[in-house]
Amino acid sequence: MTARYLFGRISGLVVAVVTVSILAFLLMHAVPGGPFDETRSPLPPAAKANILRKYGLDQPIWVQYARYVWHALHGDFGTPYQSPTETVLALLARVWPVTLLLGAIVVGISFTLGLGLGVLSALRQNTWLDNLLTSVATLGMTVPNFVIAIWLIYILSIRARWLPTGGWGEARLLIMPVVAYSLQPLAIVARYTRVAVLEAMAGDYVRTALAKGLSPAQVVVRHVLRNALIPIVTLLGPMIPDLFTGSIFIEFTFRIPGLGKFFVTSIFQRDYPMIMATVLLVAVLWSLTYLASDVLYVLIDPRVRLGARGR
Amino acid sequence: MAVSRLLAGVVILLLSLWGAGVMSATTNAVGRPLPADAAPPEQQVLTGLTQPATTLDFFVSVYKRPQNVDGNSWSNVLSTPLVRLDKNFNLVAAAAKSWEASKDGLTWTFHLDKSVTWSDGTPLTADDFVSTFRLGADPKQAWDFAWFFSAIKGWDDAVKGTIPVDQIGVQRGSDPYTLVVTTTVPAPYLPGMMLYSPPLQAKALAASGPFYNTDPATSVSSGPYVLQEWAKDQRIVLVANPKYSGVRPFIQKLVLKFADLKTEFSAYQANEVDVAANFSPADLQVIENDPALRAQYHQGFGDFRTYYVGFDTLHAPFGNLKLRQAFSHAIDRAALIKSVIKQQGIAAYGFLMPGFPGSQNDALKGIQTYDPALAKKLLAEAGFPGGKGLPKLELWLRNERALGQAIGNAIAAMLKQNLGVEVEVSNRETKLFMDELNGHRLQFYIVSYGMDFLDPANMLGIWLSGGRHAWKSDKFDSLVKTASSMVGNPGQRLAMFHQAEQVLVSDVGFIPIYFVTPGFMWKPYLRGDALSADKIGVTAWHWPGWDGLSTLHQSVYVTKDVSKYRR
Repeated sequence: MTARYLFGRISGLVVAVVTVSILAFLLMHAVPGGPFDETRSPLPPAAKANILRKYGLDQPIWVQYARYVWHALHGDFGTPYQSPTETVLALLARVWPVTLLLGAIVVGISFTLGLGLGVLSALRQNTWLDNLLTSVATLGMTVPNFVIAIWLIYILSIRARWLPTGGWGEARLLIMPVVAYSLQPLAIVARYTRVAVLEAMAGDYVRTALAKGLSPAQVVVRHVLRNALIPIVTLLGPMIPDLFTGSIFIEFTFRIPGLGKFFVTSIFQRDYPMIMATVLLVAVLWSLTYLASDVLYVLIDPRVRLGARGR
Repeated sequence: MAVSRLLAGVVILLLSLWGAGVMSATTNAVGRPLPADAAPPEQQVLTGLTQPATTLDFFVSVYKRPQNVDGNSWSNVLSTPLVRLDKNFNLVAAAAKSWEASKDGLTWTFHLDKSVTWSDGTPLTADDFVSTFRLGADPKQAWDFAWFFSAIKGWDDAVKGTIPVDQIGVQRGSDPYTLVVTTTVPAPYLPGMMLYSPPLQAKALAASGPFYNTDPATSVSSGPYVLQEWAKDQRIVLVANPKYSGVRPFIQKLVLKFADLKTEFSAYQANEVDVAANFSPADLQVIENDPALRAQYHQGFGDFRTYYVGFDTLHAPFGNLKLRQAFSHAIDRAALIKSVIKQQGIAAYGFLMPGFPGSQNDALKGIQTYDPALAKKLLAEAGFPGGKGLPKLELWLRNERALGQAIGNAIAAMLKQNLGVEVEVSNRETKLFMDELNGHRLQFYIVSYGMDFLDPANMLGIWLSGGRHAWKSDKFDSLVKTASSMVGNPGQRLAMFHQAEQVLVSDVGFIPIYFVTPGFMWKPYLRGDALSADKIGVTAWHWPGWDGLSTLHQSVYVTKDVSKYRR
């Protein structure tokens, strides 16, 4: 049952990725302006044709797509036009770990701290503590991370001279990007946790558990949290691929050599191989995350059965 | 006898003191004695930010080299071009000791300096230049500056792929140290163009391909620096070349960090970089309000960049001269400078900026004057009284930042106010904009152009028909073409360029808006002849910057004051 379910889901994933790749391929070639357009004065048409031939861009679009897929299946995703001295895979292998490290720290901080603060808020509902946490969370959700980043740089780098404005390779360089980047997901996690815990606490089983003599702490950990986690996993799972593919603002502002900026620069530079690589990476990550959160339900809630169609 | 002995003794004493003084002067890592007020050698380091780059070499890609603002590059320091530019924009000999043209003006012979070698010990010869120019003309290389060398014989055909690259007019002469360049028409500006001749090494090109300078293992230099580190997306580290035979730099280490240049000013304020050149209007306000920062702000010519409004004059409605004239009289440059552009530019009435050879900005002032009443009259005569009958106009901008967008909106507002014409401002990304411009599909736009070499043939040449602008004048074409290749009569040549620019402005081929006077900041602890006032009194980080094409790197050093800034 489970194996069949997983097989079905994974084939669906493949279909999704192929569809996304075709759409991306068509769209990026439909945008006017090409990767090798001269920037100051026009080139003779014959010269331009030569350039297009070199990169196979003179072929009909379906031929180009078929070639791309054929090479991709052989592990060749092409050469990034923005970084012609390496392959797409080598570039990803270089920049993605940077983004993953930053993303992992941000996910770790925002989920542990966010869950903790959310539970605390719910348990102390409508007290000064809850109000304070709610105000801070609202701030964290509404102020964009680049605004926070600019303030951090102004205060900690330019005024206090405690930290360099940016860079990579030292632990202290992580402080400002992690703070700027974590606030929003932390706030979201805290808010959703608070609501989910409050809802779970209103359940009959909580009253029953308390009535049969369990301590409030036991009730929260064993019953409330476990039930509250279901909506949290649904809502928060998709935040992870976002955090693991990086933020252009954070990376640009703090000079972090990660993947995030390539989502934007690839499009501006019509870097076709990198556009395809970033789009496919996101498609695969999202599909896997949804699959993973569905599997997680089963582990959290025994009532959920994979592939079950209502009894 | 005694007197002469005494004199001899004094002379010997003085000589030995002088000798001791020289001997005791500190030298940097490549043996250049540092000035008395210089910081110790290990502090002779310069750090700057750059846009992401994939090469340091002009002939690999012009637009993917390290730069921090239009025309201020941090590149070509691994190479020695035939000539360089000093701060007064004079051509000075570099790899070429001398050069001369043949009688018919079609052949230029450059005599190379035999003392210039590559860091691997091989001499720099004409063959290196020949290989480099062949690479630039190679259709497979798809060089982003391939349009530039059209004057060289066979160049355009090689770029098109109709003749092999070894037939272009860049050849070795009678010996390995003679380079011969042949042009299609006499090109008196050719030595100026040869600023863009920083050679790649033929041997390294053959062995490792054009990107050999991105890896210290394959990198080889004939310039003032050698490559020490290239961490992709992070930084390039260059150190002074111990084998360099030219003037060795005081600055023995150069660190270029890749960054989004919006972060440059904060990095400068935090003392992480020594120079900065990208300022938002908000940054300029901060500088304005801080006397210390204001003293570090230096205004220059940059690359003699002109911002202008352009039209598709080959189609309706802008095929109508009266309509273009109406627009040209409706734009108040003085107001733009006063309230929007401020210290970042001066009003333009022609295409050549004051200071650029052949500029006649004042003489052209009367042609496109601000005169709203005349503008209205001309609009009515053009058949669009009060703007009626005109299609809704979209004014395209080329990926402009805050200032450029403010200018676009101010011009749209002036056209609305003075002519009743509705204009929507639309800021487009660079690729799309240039594709449309070069394809002559842009109806109405604002764009800029900065010079490539210091001759009117360059700036006016881009207005020749078949270039990027949808404007055509046979008279202009003939004047510019004739003047460009005129040898032996500089006075007449200049007069023809003046006349051509007059035609361009009178026919409203474009509306000049302003000449960019970019600001550049450097820390007070940077000193050197290149940073002192030039012959017209301008203290600037002169174009093209810390680059192998400039002499800027030859005289700048870090003074002891640095200890008050760097941590």
